[in-house]
Amino acid sequence: MKNWKYVLIAVVLVSTQLLAACAQEPAAPTAAPEVAATVAPVEPTAVPEPVDITLWAMATVTEAGPPPDDWIAYDRILEEVNVNLKYEILPTGSDGEAKLNAAAAANNLPDFMQMVSASNDPRGALYNLVQLGLIAQVDDMLALMPERTQKHYNDPLALSLSTFDGHLYGLPEPPPIPRREGLLIRKDWLDKLGLAVPTTPEELMAVAVAFTEQDPDGNGKKDTYGLGGFLNGDGMGTRFDFIMGAYGVAGMWDFDDAASFGLNVRNEKYPEALAFFNSLVEAKVIDPDWPTLKRDDFRARWKQGLFGIMWEDFAALSNKSNYTPFDENFPDAEWVPIPAPKGPYGDATYGVYTGRGQIFAVSQKAADEGKKEAIARLLEWMATDGYYLLGFGEEGVNFIIDANGNISTEGLDPTKAYTAAEFQPFTQMRNQLVFYNSTQEIAARYPNWTTINGRTMQPLTYLTFYQSQPWVDGRGIQVILPPANAADFLRYYTEGIVQFALGQKEVSDENWAEYLAGLDSLGAVEYEASAKQALIDAGLLK
Amino acid sequence: MTIDYHPNSNFNKRLVTFKIRSSKLLNIMWRQRWIYLLILPTVIYFLVFKYGPLWNAQIAFRDFKPLLGVFDSPWVGFKHFEAFVTSFYFNQLIGNTLIFSVAKLILGMPLAILCAIALHETWLKRFRTFVQTTIYLPHFLSWVIMFGVLLVVLSPGNGLVNDVIKRFGGEPIPFLTSPAHFRWVVILSDIWKETGWSTILYLAALLGISPELYEAAAVDSATPIQRIWYISLPGILPVIMLITLLRMGHILEAGFNQIFVLYSVPVYSVGDIIDTWVYRQGVLQFQFSLATAVGFFKGVIGLVLILIANKIAKRVAQQGLF
Repeated sequence: MKNWKYVLIAVVLVSTQLLAACAQEPAAPTAAPEVAATVAPVEPTAVPEPVDITLWAMATVTEAGPPPDDWIAYDRILEEVNVNLKYEILPTGSDGEAKLNAAAAANNLPDFMQMVSASNDPRGALYNLVQLGLIAQVDDMLALMPERTQKHYNDPLALSLSTFDGHLYGLPEPPPIPRREGLLIRKDWLDKLGLAVPTTPEELMAVAVAFTEQDPDGNGKKDTYGLGGFLNGDGMGTRFDFIMGAYGVAGMWDFDDAASFGLNVRNEKYPEALAFFNSLVEAKVIDPDWPTLKRDDFRARWKQGLFGIMWEDFAALSNKSNYTPFDENFPDAEWVPIPAPKGPYGDATYGVYTGRGQIFAVSQKAADEGKKEAIARLLEWMATDGYYLLGFGEEGVNFIIDANGNISTEGLDPTKAYTAAEFQPFTQMRNQLVFYNSTQEIAARYPNWTTINGRTMQPLTYLTFYQSQPWVDGRGIQVILPPANAADFLRYYTEGIVQFALGQKEVSDENWAEYLAGLDSLGAVEYEASAKQALIDAGLLK
Repeated sequence: MTIDYHPNSNFNKRLVTFKIRSSKLLNIMWRQRWIYLLILPTVIYFLVFKYGPLWNAQIAFRDFKPLLGVFDSPWVGFKHFEAFVTSFYFNQLIGNTLIFSVAKLILGMPLAILCAIALHETWLKRFRTFVQTTIYLPHFLSWVIMFGVLLVVLSPGNGLVNDVIKRFGGEPIPFLTSPAHFRWVVILSDIWKETGWSTILYLAALLGISPELYEAAAVDSATPIQRIWYISLPGILPVIMLITLLRMGHILEAGFNQIFVLYSVPVYSVGDIIDTWVYRQGVLQFQFSLATAVGFFKGVIGLVLILIANKIAKRVAQQGLF
């Protein structure tokens, strides 16, 4: 009998441990203040229970990690907004999308979350979750956060793109600074080899050959390439749009007008553009690892001086923290922005401007638990009292506002400045939920600085140049939803294009016709028709 | 309720036999209660994490809607199985998956056995420890790190292998983006990473062989090759059979982590496997029913293969898994 008792106790202990391990976290307590206020007068000393809010958002600096648990902002949010915030950083790209989808499948989405998409289509991700009934309407939240609505949710197009069946489901944050990527060349290499800035695809090829063959870095080795890049999306991605644009076929879609609308691969100039790209590959003047590289690998390579022509984001190039490794390796080097090359038919396009911004959404579960008002309070605080804390840290410690109203770090301990690498975990929310591209912000985020050899680096000069170039207005892409067989369709579309670009398939009339026929067999015609209708319905195609 | 006892009826005979057997079984279990207690956590683990979720596999036959839950989502029969089987790349996905899986099995297993025998045969203890540690190491690296290593080794621009090729006047080979070479990269990198770890099982089996057999062989002047051929290999045959049978159950799993990290657009035709397709179409496109249907499909194929292989093993080698 005694032994039985021990057995029983052991079984109960083991079982409870296992069950505890398997159990879900207890449901967050629901907001109580409103109920208390309407039911009975509240005692003067009664403090309403804080509302637990779970936030999933991507990081501003992915490699920097989340803020620590004792972050002052958590205390301020609790004190000033009565919200107990649990902030979790979402991975980027497909990992983030997989995490969000897995949570959705378990009907366990967080209270407030950023829409993440591997194909950079947050609206598509939002649409999927709305269709499943997992996302709450947020029309009523705008009135609860007037200041934020004025600063962040003021673009009618962005609002209409987050509206389904007449209700707003997403809170569209302002897009990052538009048209911020561009074409760059190593001026020091051009000067050393006595070359001029290329203005046509042929000249681009000639310069790339020279950069590859003529030892532009003067180290006595043939270890450089003309161009560098990587694949970052469907088709040829966006990093080679300046080449496709020279043939008038940048991007996936032709947005010119309703009559010509369709996939750009229908355009007869498309195979020509691919043939030119293939000539770069065949001439071995492009970093041969480009199809396998990830963005960080690519960035490590230009910082190692591997190539002399590339497409890069202005901040990723010229902000002090990003440029410094390159500066230390090559203090006399200089990247200069150049215009898009003009193709044989007079086309010159820098890239496709999509205007995509981040979209945040409230889960239906959170709405059912009465948390929408608390989320609105939190967001309004982020745009008002908490703005500087979340964007730049504590005034006087991490930043100061000078006499001209500019954000500055002058006179502060450099290791505590908001620009220091050590401080990056404390401003992880800034790009997703705090900044709205005000003049003060842009000047603070991209200040001028001096390189090792005394040259003044002006990030905004690069931006201004990029923005002055010809871009395709591709904002319509936001309303185009992926086809039902997206995995097969997009694989066929992208694989075929890359095979032609790499020379795995010869660019010939016969092969191209075969490629298009295959695309049609996967439903390309129907996809184009539905995309066209969606654009017309949204008033984005005339 | 009382049951009338009729000694002559068949039913009651069976009932009595059942009662006696149950009572015997309970007695045996009681006598060995501490052993059963030891195994209880494992049983609970399998019930909670392996058998419990099987109930949710029914979403393969439903159009799963998270808000409706597993039980209220509408039934759609074999719609998702049909969608997978009729998908554009179905044949290619099955082909690639089988090629990777079978090649890893056929090439990886003999190498692991060979390593284990070599380690078992060596009399230099320090050397054996050093080799063991060295060949186990790659197993502990993630595929993300392995991708970085492979890029450094195989890059056509400045990779070590291509540097050698160029030095001998050859043309650099884009191993990671060339359809002709990619499969070999996947198979050989997997062998490199996992062979050392796989030797553990065979080494344990070799150590389980009675030393008396080797002593008797030495007395009979057997050569090392004869020792291996007539003692070591037959001694570990049951383990080889067991591992082969277990691998048959996973024949449609070709290593998602590895391929997801290593593959890129130019090698989709030779690198895309069932699991990477499921990730793109099922997980990223929010088609969890489709993903579950494919998982179900893989499980059924694996079960059938295990049963067939077990039968063959019993018939040919007189030993099987069950």
